[in-house]
Amino acid sequence: MSVRSSRLPEGVHDAVASAAGSFERLQNTPATWIAPAALFLLVFRLYPLIEAVRMSFTNMSLVEPEYQYVGLESYVSILSSSTFWTMSRVTLIFVAASVVLQITFGMILALAIDYGVKEKLRGSVSTRVAVLSAWVIPGIVIGILWKIMLIETNYGVVNYLLLQAGFDVVAFLSDPQMALLSTITANTWRGTAFSMIMLYAGLQQVPTHLYDAAKVDGARALQRFRYVTIPQIKPVVFINLVLITIYTLNTFDMIMSLTGGGPGHATEVLALFMYLEGFNRFNLGQAAAVAVLMLLVNVLMTAVYMRIFIEEEGL
Amino acid sequence: MSGRYSAESAVDRLSAPVALTYLVYATAAVFFLFPVLWVVSMSLRQPGEVLSYPVQFVPRRVTLDPYVRVLQDSGMLTWIFNSLKIAILEVVGIVLVTTPAAYAFSRFDFRGKRHVLFGVLLFQMISPVVIVIPLYNMMAQLNLLDTHLGLILLYIGLQVPFSIWLLKSYFDTIPEGLDEAARVDGCSRLQTLIYVLLPSVAPGIAVVAIFNFVFSWAEFVMAFTVLSESDLYTVSIGLFSFQGQYSMDWRVVAAASVIAMAPLLVMFVALQRYFVKGLVEGAVKG
Repeated sequence: MSVRSSRLPEGVHDAVASAAGSFERLQNTPATWIAPAALFLLVFRLYPLIEAVRMSFTNMSLVEPEYQYVGLESYVSILSSSTFWTMSRVTLIFVAASVVLQITFGMILALAIDYGVKEKLRGSVSTRVAVLSAWVIPGIVIGILWKIMLIETNYGVVNYLLLQAGFDVVAFLSDPQMALLSTITANTWRGTAFSMIMLYAGLQQVPTHLYDAAKVDGARALQRFRYVTIPQIKPVVFINLVLITIYTLNTFDMIMSLTGGGPGHATEVLALFMYLEGFNRFNLGQAAAVAVLMLLVNVLMTAVYMRIFIEEEGL
Repeated sequence: MSGRYSAESAVDRLSAPVALTYLVYATAAVFFLFPVLWVVSMSLRQPGEVLSYPVQFVPRRVTLDPYVRVLQDSGMLTWIFNSLKIAILEVVGIVLVTTPAAYAFSRFDFRGKRHVLFGVLLFQMISPVVIVIPLYNMMAQLNLLDTHLGLILLYIGLQVPFSIWLLKSYFDTIPEGLDEAARVDGCSRLQTLIYVLLPSVAPGIAVVAIFNFVFSWAEFVMAFTVLSESDLYTVSIGLFSFQGQYSMDWRVVAAASVIAMAPLLVMFVALQRYFVKGLVEGAVKG
């Protein structure tokens, strides 16, 4: 072997050496390491984003291959359609109610578990597991779970319990307002775990000596919460708020299987409206315009998030 | 003696905050577990027992008949196989693609690194739902519609930002001295990564793998858009189409739902620690 390799022509020898060298050099360039991930990001994240903006300026349709650039026409027709504003109102109610409920329940649970763990109460871990299991279940299944819970005869279990308590049967999914309420309930069920975990993690970062100092000063539990806990975990609460707003705004799967957007358009949030506009009504251009409007809200929320993030991490 | 003491301390401990905490625990347990348990109980009933009045909370006679019906009347076994295949390949792909990137973001200093990292974060924050329509066109042009390969590549693309940030936070916790020692001993960067750093970031890789598995298993919008042949369906879209056709017998829909959520619930209970870690580190730290 060694004889042979020593007999290699100079050129080949150099080539091998320089290949090894350039492999070494490649390894010392960050671009080499990042390239595969960057390629995926460019193809599946950046390009479609740019495409969405471009498509929103066309009259592209799912059924006809030909299309023209029509400027802001898609936006004008979307923004002047009453359906869009109805959907925006539905979305706003859905997002606002879900976010408030998730933060409230998440906070109550985080405080209870924090207290329970410190006092070594039994059931702290089980409670956490119970809440989190709702979050692990696929969105499609969550919609079906609640659909089964809310069956609209006295055979549906929730209606059965209401009946037992002396109330009438409620049309949870076929009455427009009740359907929205049911959707909010199911989404709160799904999302509370996330807020609970984040807020609990936030509570762990509050230095104990602050509580001790407040106790020495004679602060009662409620005062300690108001003047020590709240200011200390404010950044976490804000980050949580932004994240769950974005998640809720883009909810699709759970609503698809729970109500499909119905009855009528009663639970058709913007994500659903966009999808149905594109794939059921074939207006890709207008669907893209809705997508771009949603994108703007996403980016706006992200900007808020990053501000807090940068302040917190001191980056 | 000891009995009296413990009884006393139990009374002692049942102060107002403790009672309140237990009240919260109990309410949460009922609210969050009841829908799951109800659907499980529904899936084990005899035909007449679903629509019985008064409603039975625990089925009187248990039957596995709904499960048999799901397996016979739907492509559930195929869908489970498809979901497993897609989730496993996605996990392998994402780990291979994002571990080197996370390593680079943690260990190299280069101009614009902060901006690139924030760019990645920005992508993470923008929901994939927003880009589903152009993605459909793109997949059509690439001939990747109705292929598992297309869906797997797409999932990897969507999950790159989250996975990079999470893995980077793990790399950041390992002192650079470890790398330097290995480099002095003549290891290349690749060798350093594989032999020295990987064992230490293994828990991070586990978290990334688990979260990606759950994501791939549960994902709906993209699978629904990319796959249209029922033989290629994943569990999520299979279940969705099945419940649409089968809403006459809720026991069977319930059984299908139990099958769809059971693997994730089992995984979650077994690996609870990793889930909490991923949630906190993925969200609080980026």
